[in-house]
Amino acid sequence: METSLVLRQHAEQQFAEELDQLRKQDNRQRPGNWELSPWAVVTYLLGGKLDNGFEVSAKYIGSRRLIETAVATLATDRALLLYGVPGTAKSWVSEHLAAAISGDSTLIVQGTAGTSEEQMRYGWNYAQLLAKGPSREALVESPLLRAMERGKTARIEELTRIPADVQDTLITLLSEKTLPIPELASEVQAVRGFNVIATANNRDKGVNELSSALKRRFNTVVLPVPASEAEEVAIVNKRVAEMGRALELPAEPPALAEVRRVVQIFRELRNGLTEDGKTKLKSPSGTLSTAEAISVINSGMALAAHFGDGLLHANDVAASLLGAVIKDPVQDAVVWREYLETVVKERSDWKDLYRACREIE
Amino acid sequence: MSDAIHLFGIRHHGPGCARSLLQALQALQPDCLLIEGPADAEAILPFVLHEELQPPVALLLHAEDDPRQASFYPFAEFSPEWQALRFARERGIETRFIDLPAAHQFALEQAWREEDAAAAPEAAAATPESDAGLSGDPLGWLGQAAGYADGEAWWNHMVEERCDGQQLFAAIAEAMQALREQAPAERSPRRARREALREAHMRKCLRQALKDGYQRIAVVCGAWHVPALASLPAAKVDNELLKGLPKTRVAATWAPWTYRNLCSASGYGAGVDAPAWYAHLWRNPEPGQRAVTWLARAAGLFRAEGLDCSSAQIIEATRLAEGLAALRERPAPGLEELCEALQTTVCMGDAAPMRLIRDRLIVGDRLGTVPADVPAVPLQRDLEQQQKSLRLKPQAAQKTLDLDLREPGGLARSHLLHRLNLLGIRWGEQTRGVVSSKGTFHEVWSLQWQPELAVAVIEASQWGSTVESAATARAVARARSSESLAELSELVDDVLLANLPQAVAPVTRALEDLASLATDVTQLLDAVPALTRIARYGNVRQTDTGMVRHVLDGLITRAAIGLSAACAALHEDAASAMRERIRAADAAIRLLDDPARSQDWQQALGRIAAFGASHGLICGQAARLLFDADAEDLDACAVRMNLALSRSVEPAAAAAWLEGFLDQSALILMHDPRLWSMVDGWLAALSDDHFERIVALLRRTFSTFSAAERRELGERARRPAAATVAAPAATRWDPQRAALPLPLLARLLGLSNDGAFS
Repeated sequence: METSLVLRQHAEQQFAEELDQLRKQDNRQRPGNWELSPWAVVTYLLGGKLDNGFEVSAKYIGSRRLIETAVATLATDRALLLYGVPGTAKSWVSEHLAAAISGDSTLIVQGTAGTSEEQMRYGWNYAQLLAKGPSREALVESPLLRAMERGKTARIEELTRIPADVQDTLITLLSEKTLPIPELASEVQAVRGFNVIATANNRDKGVNELSSALKRRFNTVVLPVPASEAEEVAIVNKRVAEMGRALELPAEPPALAEVRRVVQIFRELRNGLTEDGKTKLKSPSGTLSTAEAISVINSGMALAAHFGDGLLHANDVAASLLGAVIKDPVQDAVVWREYLETVVKERSDWKDLYRACREIE
Repeated sequence: MSDAIHLFGIRHHGPGCARSLLQALQALQPDCLLIEGPADAEAILPFVLHEELQPPVALLLHAEDDPRQASFYPFAEFSPEWQALRFARERGIETRFIDLPAAHQFALEQAWREEDAAAAPEAAAATPESDAGLSGDPLGWLGQAAGYADGEAWWNHMVEERCDGQQLFAAIAEAMQALREQAPAERSPRRARREALREAHMRKCLRQALKDGYQRIAVVCGAWHVPALASLPAAKVDNELLKGLPKTRVAATWAPWTYRNLCSASGYGAGVDAPAWYAHLWRNPEPGQRAVTWLARAAGLFRAEGLDCSSAQIIEATRLAEGLAALRERPAPGLEELCEALQTTVCMGDAAPMRLIRDRLIVGDRLGTVPADVPAVPLQRDLEQQQKSLRLKPQAAQKTLDLDLREPGGLARSHLLHRLNLLGIRWGEQTRGVVSSKGTFHEVWSLQWQPELAVAVIEASQWGSTVESAATARAVARARSSESLAELSELVDDVLLANLPQAVAPVTRALEDLASLATDVTQLLDAVPALTRIARYGNVRQTDTGMVRHVLDGLITRAAIGLSAACAALHEDAASAMRERIRAADAAIRLLDDPARSQDWQQALGRIAAFGASHGLICGQAARLLFDADAEDLDACAVRMNLALSRSVEPAAAAAWLEGFLDQSALILMHDPRLWSMVDGWLAALSDDHFERIVALLRRTFSTFSAAERRELGERARRPAAATVAAPAATRWDPQRAALPLPLLARLLGLSNDGAFS
């Protein structure tokens, strides 16, 4: 199938030109089987200008140190665990790291409660097995096994959703870098360049918490929520504009003031502190990620377009705002009311929002 | 310039500089050492070799007649000046301080302050001299030029974390020369003048040393000053500049210092971010071992605090730090790389445990010591001065002191004693007896001066140079570390009693922060009465309570929001405790007399007054409070009682409601025949079985009434229910007669004018 018709391309396809340019310009030392040097990988993720004037776009907007730590981890043969609340671009970073390092982001195990050991190690093609007996031809390789053989980067999504006994498969694999196949009395030894990037969501800690043995085999990088309000407003605005186009919403582009306000509310509640740093706040139980801010604005726009005057007003966002903040009907409701009464009420230019929120209550 | 002079531009508290400086001094073998330090501190230099003078210590200069005018010149073991001083003193080399004497600096500042005060009294306080000039942070500019986020990181990387030092000083001189040529002119003319004076004085001292015939003169000064000293123009210009400078009497001493204090800017205008890291750099000159030993110490610290940290993790942290250093093109891992590696490999990316590392291994908690025979610290002098002016003599014998707070003298003494208590100098103890409780005008103290209090004074001197400033700093520090609302509201009270206006804002701020995070409504309710007292009566002591008021408002709003959740599902004992809290808070809120707060509070009461929303006792109490506050009329009360005492309600719950509603007084029953007949009817309708079960509860309720009330109730019960008591005749007020005692009352309460009554 032609790649241009694909709904979503892989990173290495979408940014093939950038990767190509980087490879040409990159004359630094590359670890075994890496497509790019660590420096070039950092540039690929954070964007920058190459010596020949080629502009590399930024894939991740945020702290340079985190990306450097992540790349240095992979360069020292340690497995990387990207950790963070939902909606902080963990999978996104993992995909782009794999694309830049191995030129292939498709060796992926999607972690679920039903992930089995076969999906982590290898399975059997039973027709072949019956016809020819145990042999390499009858073996069905897992993405991890393929990555080991070829010296590529394997990705494991949602590591903490995988049952604990299946997680344990990784322990020896990560320390010995071999995968024994007792049925064939052989083993697969990882080729240089093999590494694992796992992602996990720290809100789901309780699902299948990593054993300390497994934890110790990962270097952990926590991806934070956006550092500054401006950064977050930019991300929300960009995504809302893109999604609005996709959904063909007839409303005007979102009013920047309203976006700012929603982002500010999210940030204040998330950080437990008002932006002026003067008042501490309780935080609700939900994540309040940037992704949720985007969805609040989006549904506000839909309301404004279909039931309002097409312009985003306080009462359009109020309902979905409440829904995003109040996840626990008792505790979060108290948090929200405190916020409303002690912060929103005091702001003279937020009167419309205060009224709109009180009306819903 | 003369060949005899060798300039060593350093960065204050730079271990790499210190190491290079020692190497250079070894090579040079100077016969005279000149150090950038106030010339009038030379007298106390002999203490440098005293074995009880252990850094970090600070050279402390203060104006003799005004200890508030003080400056500190801190030294750590890794400070180049400290190492140079020891080097010279150990070898008996002539050592001189060449900076402008503090006597002139203080006098100049004093003159400027007076000028400001004369020009614009209100603006003077608002504009402290800002440190925005290039000379304030020359390294920041160099770092920026080199593409680093801050100058400290650049300098650490370029100088402190390297080992080769031979060419260092030439390089620094060159860099500073270039920087000073490009630097924009100093924005503040005063700062410019002071810089010029200081450098003129340094040059003057250089000339003097040359004249004294020294052959190899080593000059150790801040890097910024090197270009100014590199050439010695005609002495006349400098002498002109320095002529006729104002002067004040200055005393110098050594004071113990902490690494934490080193972090902030001080007498040098130069603070360092990571004193303990620098100490580590100083003790581990070998770059290969530096990272490993530091990580091993971090591992030990983690384990001591009960956090898992295996050797394997430290090995991985070392590898990652080296990988990061390579990625950032640095020869060896620096502090940043080590911290990031630790956080990633040991702490699961969590930043919280890193605070431990920051406190102990980056900033450090080392405290210096000074010998007992150094001159007195300014705090001591300030205390002596105040003791003299307030005629409070320190005596070993116990003595009782009755202070009348309406007199300025009494108030000032009370302030002093409260401040000393805040500082942990327990000279006086307040006896809270019959005549002395908060809000009245007398305080009774028992005073006893014990010898160990002198030590307490020296210990307290780390907080500031005057009693007031030290008490302020101490209170603020305590507020920051406190985690209990009750302790904080007490601290607010103490701060107000001690009259520390500077501390009020930070302490109440801390209280507010804690209150807004407190999920325990009982804690909030407990804090309300104390704070209300302060807000209501604080003005008697002439203190500003506006901040407290703001906190209190927030506290009441939060308590009101959380009240109904906090009152749900309480058992008997918890309910009666909560009832007491609600009563106390209600009394406080009524005392506060603020319509907005009262409204919030009454709405909250309305929510818990609905029968079934909480334990009967609390519902009843809330209903009564609403009635007493005129928020609900008798009709509403009757509806509530009807619901609570209806047949379907469990008799025990109804009795509890009644206990809460009657609130230890039967007056309301006697006042309204409807309520009376409802209670009467309810009691009469109880089955024998039920009556037996609740009779104990009812006895408890009715036993709280006064004997007269009980008698009247009994009599009433005998009469038919329809009979009513005649309403008492309306009282006629004579406003003129009522006004007569007001002036006397005002005098008794110490209110200057009648407007203070409200």
